[in-house]
Amino acid sequence: MLPRPASPEPLPTIYLDHGATSWPKPPEVVAAVSQALTEYGGNPGRGAYRMAIATSRLIHESRRDVAAFLGVSDAHNLLFSPSCTEALNLVLRGLLKPGDRVVACSMEHNAVARPLFDLSQLGIEVVLVDADSTGTIIAEEVETAVNAAPTRAVVCQHASNLTGTIQPIADLADIAHAAGALMLVDGAQAGGHLSVNLASLGADAWACSGHKGLLGPQGVGVLHLASDCNPTPLVTGGTGGGSSADETAPLVRPDRYEAGTPNTPGIAGLGAAVRFLATHAEQLRAEERRLVRRLHEGILDLPGFSVLGPDPSVPRVPIVSIVHDSIDVDRLAFALDKRWGIATRAGLHCAPWAHRTVGTLDAGALRLGIGYANTTDDIDVALVALATLAQEGS
Amino acid sequence: MTREPRLFAVLGFQSTHDALDAETLLGDLGIDVVPIPAPKTIGSHCGIALRIELADEERSAAYLDTAGITVAARARIEDV
Repeated sequence: MLPRPASPEPLPTIYLDHGATSWPKPPEVVAAVSQALTEYGGNPGRGAYRMAIATSRLIHESRRDVAAFLGVSDAHNLLFSPSCTEALNLVLRGLLKPGDRVVACSMEHNAVARPLFDLSQLGIEVVLVDADSTGTIIAEEVETAVNAAPTRAVVCQHASNLTGTIQPIADLADIAHAAGALMLVDGAQAGGHLSVNLASLGADAWACSGHKGLLGPQGVGVLHLASDCNPTPLVTGGTGGGSSADETAPLVRPDRYEAGTPNTPGIAGLGAAVRFLATHAEQLRAEERRLVRRLHEGILDLPGFSVLGPDPSVPRVPIVSIVHDSIDVDRLAFALDKRWGIATRAGLHCAPWAHRTVGTLDAGALRLGIGYANTTDDIDVALVALATLAQEGS
Repeated sequence: MTREPRLFAVLGFQSTHDALDAETLLGDLGIDVVPIPAPKTIGSHCGIALRIELADEERSAAYLDTAGITVAARARIEDV
């Protein structure tokens, strides 16, 4: 039995919002954050007194361990950022220039959609390829779009934060590279939940949240850049290394993309989280798959509900988004929290493109995200609660 | 009576990441490595430099080169 920290009083929370952020964190993560705050107070990469060097080592070890967990052979190319969103902004704004053409997928989160909109105002052509009704991107349609005109990059999520759909990234990378384009991936919902090997995936840039499936604290994102993928830095400033007298950002990684004092407690926590995952990931993923299927099939048995995305037999990340034919999703979310202590997420999930694609832009959906500490009881309570609400609402 | 100053070799790197990789690799070889503030004489390549015995300088540099870690600068310093 994996350790499960106690829920706060007074109402026990059944936490089903792992698509937004994971909770609770493994005790090792909490301990690492606390230790970083109490023992590793030096500014990493700057001073060379013993505490600062120890802090630098802490970040160095976290970088090495995150890289190893994601199949990155050269940890220089594994970068920390304040968030997945900022990492994606770095990639998109740092690579795409006026006159470029980019092919993007219609399931993208606003972390991609909004930067692309900004870039479209600067003369970058954004071509959207629609996913099918399950939220799945069809590789052949991306290939057609890429080959229609010279294309700088293909952008696609690794997995949907709405439908849980897993996208065919390796196939898309082959298509992009055959056309001389870059493959840029939003891996926010994939890290931790899927076995990710960046050495073989084919992405030139892959960004991920540290606090979702990777189980780290909020405030840390991860970005892997292939060694020949060199976006212009989004932020420049002090790095500790490089010549302090030189006004240009250092060329060497990771310093080039990590200006400013890093989030040491967050990075320490993320390092502890991936060490936890390195030991438990297979067990956790098997349990997530079992619980997702139990929830998905259980909801399909309830009157009035339907589930977005692929059938239960198709693998997905542990997200199950639902709609009811007569009860608004905000009412469902409020009642679940107030009466059963069940935390879910209603609305558009910062993904209006995805909702438009699957037909829920007007009504939104209720998202239930499963994570490492959830139990069969959690799922069964949620099913009873939804059944009760459906009965009351009909 | 004056004490003869003891000299050490100092290796400078392009980044803290490289310096810490080098510290680990040289330590694993049994070389006595001490992280120190990067001396002005090697330029501010990285806030951390590695101090080693003079006798270990050449084999350390050669080993790091083989391992793909660039030694950006070298210097000699006296003990403090």
